[in-house]
Parts: sequence; structure tokens; C-alpha cells
Amino acid sequence: MNYKAIIVDDEKELRTYLKSMLAETWPQLEICGEAANGKEALKMVDAFSPHIVFLDIRMPGLSGLEVAKNIAGLCRIVFITAFDQYAVEAFEREAVDYLVKPVTKERLRQTINRLKKQLQSSPEPPADLARIVTQVLANVQGNKNADQYLQWIKTQHKESVRLIPVEEVDYFQAGDKYTLVITAQGEALIKKSIKELSRELDPQKFWQIHRGTIVNVSRIEDVGHSLTGRGTLKLKNRKDTLTVSRQYLHLFKQM
Amino acid sequence: MKERYETKFIFKYWTNVKNDAIDFIYVVIICTLLAFVVTIIGPIKNFLINFVVSQSFGITIAAIVFWSLLIIRPRSWELLLFIVVIDVCCAVIIGLQICIFILQYFFNIVLDFQANGLGLQIIIGGILFGFFGVYFFITKTRLKYNTEMIKEEKTRSTDMEKENLSANLKVLQAQIEPHFLFNTLSNILSLIDTKPETGKSMLLDLTKYLRTSLARTLPEKTTLSQEISMIKAYLDIHKIRMDERLNYKIDVPDNLELHSFPPMLLQPLVENTIKHGLEPKVEGGEIVIRAAQENNILKIEVTDTGLGFSDLDKPGLGIANVRERLGLLFGEKGRLIIEENNPHGVRATIEMPINEL
Repeated sequence: MNYKAIIVDDEKELRTYLKSMLAETWPQLEICGEAANGKEALKMVDAFSPHIVFLDIRMPGLSGLEVAKNIAGLCRIVFITAFDQYAVEAFEREAVDYLVKPVTKERLRQTINRLKKQLQSSPEPPADLARIVTQVLANVQGNKNADQYLQWIKTQHKESVRLIPVEEVDYFQAGDKYTLVITAQGEALIKKSIKELSRELDPQKFWQIHRGTIVNVSRIEDVGHSLTGRGTLKLKNRKDTLTVSRQYLHLFKQM
Repeated sequence: MKERYETKFIFKYWTNVKNDAIDFIYVVIICTLLAFVVTIIGPIKNFLINFVVSQSFGITIAAIVFWSLLIIRPRSWELLLFIVVIDVCCAVIIGLQICIFILQYFFNIVLDFQANGLGLQIIIGGILFGFFGVYFFITKTRLKYNTEMIKEEKTRSTDMEKENLSANLKVLQAQIEPHFLFNTLSNILSLIDTKPETGKSMLLDLTKYLRTSLARTLPEKTTLSQEISMIKAYLDIHKIRMDERLNYKIDVPDNLELHSFPPMLLQPLVENTIKHGLEPKVEGGEIVIRAAQENNILKIEVTDTGLGFSDLDKPGLGIANVRERLGLLFGEKGRLIIEENNPHGVRATIEMPINEL
């Protein structure tokens, strides 16, 4: 029986290269399509129902792992990656087929032999691939989502919108209508309130120290106390001091 | 919240026998001084009597306050104050009995407490000095707490600085992305048979890029055209990979080409345009690099039409690195401004004083 395959990679040269290598090592294999991104890949799987999909992991739009999640039960998948340590470890552990770039002929031959054996012994694709891919995806995304905190402060500056990385903010101070963003470079106004900011910023890096103040912890140079029982903060490279109200003083104890 | 930690600290301080001994000596010394003062200005001119009275009051108050606080361990100042008030009142009455007993039993002295309201004077005096004493000891411990708090905060911030430093070192070492390297090598390999000329030029570009970015000790100054040629190599590599998804334009006036320029300052910004902007965008886009001189400022803009930064996208270490180096090299005159590009993407602008380059 002749098997059908598609190649999915956003880089044209690499598709061509893999195609020529496959023509050499497995001439009977029919390459019925080449896709340059995840969406195209899904369409082709739908149209050609191939037996095998050679699937690059890093692609614009839908990633290879996301595509795999959708087509896991429909065909056999051989992942291709240049350097995705976590995915490779998981594939190795779970005996999922994968190729590393640059693809060598020897490695490709091994993979093909394994594929041939699998296809002959059981024509149905393995059922647990979806589970493994979901796991890898959860881990890759988990790493990303672990700190889903505000990273950029967007401020209106004349005609344009400026982006300030939150790391560069010394502190936020509530004003009448707006919130003042104070950085080493200067000050800017944003519409977000202190309340919203305290929800969105990483609590490890930004502490609310007063009803109207959030401070970047890494900028704190010294903590002192005033006679009224409040705390005072001195910031690095700044002359102004900030007041820590009683309510938030405990932050400076448990460290 | 704060009270809890502070009162906790006070109790912790007082569970140490050495601290207790020191505080006891304080009590004795203060009471002795008090007896002196009262002998000079008070109604009874007998030091012995004043000494016995003040010691018995002082030690009783100290003992009762000490034990009641350590047993109850109040968590707020209000409760603490309440306990202290009751303690001092009880202690004064008990102390009075003790001093009457000691004076009578050991020294055979009987005080007439009815005369001239002497008893009332002693009780009021005892209560006042009792409160004063308790206030003194609690304040003393609180000050100790604050000093310790500051000390802890200081060690913590030095720890943090050390961490930052090692993080910075890591940034410098991890500048070449393994993904980029392997992908490029794999492209070159695939081009050798089909398009050897393109493969060759890609290999040359990679060499040029590696030579600049791998060098452990970068030369302090290169020229702008050197930096640009390295960036061209970097972009050409991506151009082969991404094909029509990547277009770029570089516009540097001739008179600026040979101007000196800090190495690897522009590269992180260009890398960002690819990594965050164009590579993840299906349709790709365009990068424009433009240098210009305005008065005494050299301005270099890197604009892309990629995905742009969402609120939650990590800025990446490249941007922080560039800003840090600009600060080190030019102080406040070196600036990096990041803006949204209309309608898509990001524009990063570096500004630096041209005569300090």
C-alpha cells in the first residue's frame, strides 16, 4: 500500500529539503501537500487525510503542537524542531516520533523504519498522542502563563502611544483623576487606577504601600520609620521618600 | 497587622532571660534614682523610706506587667493598653502593702498615711511612674524592633542586588538563541544542494553575525556601519528563512556611517522585531531602520509592522539591556523610547548625544 504524507513548516527551504530527503529514503511515500502554517495544515489534513504529517513545532499563528492537538487521532505525526528542549524531552520519554533540525538522513531513515512498522502492525494512529500533546502544550503555555501580569504601561505622549516596561517604573502615585507613573526618565499619566494596577501587577515585584501608592520593590533602598508609627521608604537614585501606611508596614517585616 | 508583628517581637524579646535581667537592672536603677529625686523634692526627707517605697512599687509593677503580658500576649495595642492599666492599678495596691510590711517588719517604721493625704500622693505617684515606666520599656523594645527590621531589609536588598548582577551575566551569555542557530544551520544544509549560492551567502552572514555577537570582550567602540552590516547579516539570514514574510529597509545617511557607535546596541532591538513582531505573525511584515542627526542627538529608529506588544507580553531582557547600557554610557542623555507603530507593530528609538560617541 502507498502511504500519503504532508509536510508542514513555515520555512520553504526546509520543506523542500525534507521533501528531497524523503524522496530518497522512502520513494514510495507520496507527498500530497506542503503547508506553511498551522491553518493551512489543518485544511490539508482535512482535504487529503494523509497517513503521516511532518510537523514543525514553531510556526506563526497556530503552533505545531496546537495543530497536533486537533489532528492527533487522524494521522501519525512526526514533529520537527530546531530547539524546543521541553518538547523534545517529553517526546523522548513518551516515544513520540520527532526529528531535530538539521535533519540527518540516518535519523530520518530510523524514523521511517519505525513508521513503516507501526503502519503495518496497526493502521490506526496511537490514541494517546492527544494526551501527550495536551500535556506538553499545558507545560509550554503554563510557563508562559505562570506570570500573566501586566508588563507594559501604555501612556499617551503627544500623537503616539508610548510603552514603558513595568520594570522601569519606580512607583505609581494616585492623582485626582489619573495615576502618575514615575520612572527615572520622568513622569507620565495613565487612566488605570491604583486599585486596578494592584490587581494586574506582579505582587512579587510591586507592593502597595499606601492607599495611593504602589512601589517597585527592586527600587527600594532603605526603610525607615517615622514617629507617628508609619514607615518611610527611600528609593534608589531618587530624592523623594514614600510613606508606608500602618496597614502595609507588615510587608517589611516578613522578609 | 503591624501591631501584631511588633507586639510579637516584644514578647520574643522578653522571653530571653538575658534581656529580662537587663530590664530588671534598669527597673532597680530607675527606682533608686526616683528615690533620690523624691528625697530631695518630696514630702518625706528620709531616703531609706523613699527607696523602699519606690523599689517595692517598681518591682511589683514590672513583675505583674511582665507576667500578665507574657501570659496573655495581646495582639493589639488597645488590648495591651487595657491590660497595662489594670496591671498598674493592682500593682500599686499590692506594692503599697509590700512596702508597709517591709518598713514595719525590718525597720520598725510606721507611716501615717492619713496625714496630709500622703497615702493618696504615694498611690497617684506610683500609678503615674508605673505608666511612665511601662511606656519606657515598651518604647525601648520597639526601637530595637525597628532597628532590626531595617537591618533585615538591608541584607535582603543586597541579596537582591547580587541576584540582579548574576541575572545580567546570564543575559550576556545567552545572547545567541539556540533555536536561531540550529534553524539557520538547518537552512544552510538544505540550501547546499538546491541553491548553493544562497546557502553560501547565508553561511557568510551567519559567520559575520557570530563573529560580532560571540566575542566575549566586545571592542568598546565600533562604527555605525559595522553595526549595521552585522544587522544586515542577521536580517538576511531571516530573510532567507522567512522569504516574502520579511522585508527590511535600512536608511543611514552617508555622513553617519563612519561615526563611532557602541557595539551590539542596536541588535537587541532588531532581534525583538523578529522575535516578538514578525516571526509569530502569519503575514509577516516590514522592518525599517533609520538613522538621523537632530541637532546634537543621534537618533536611530527601528520600526516594524509586526504583532506589537500586548499588555502581558514580557519585554524581554534585550530592552532592559539596551536601556541599561545607554544609561551607563550617556547618563540621562541616552534614551530608549518604545512606541506603538501605526497601525501595527512597534517603534523603538534610541537617542544619544552625538559628540559623546
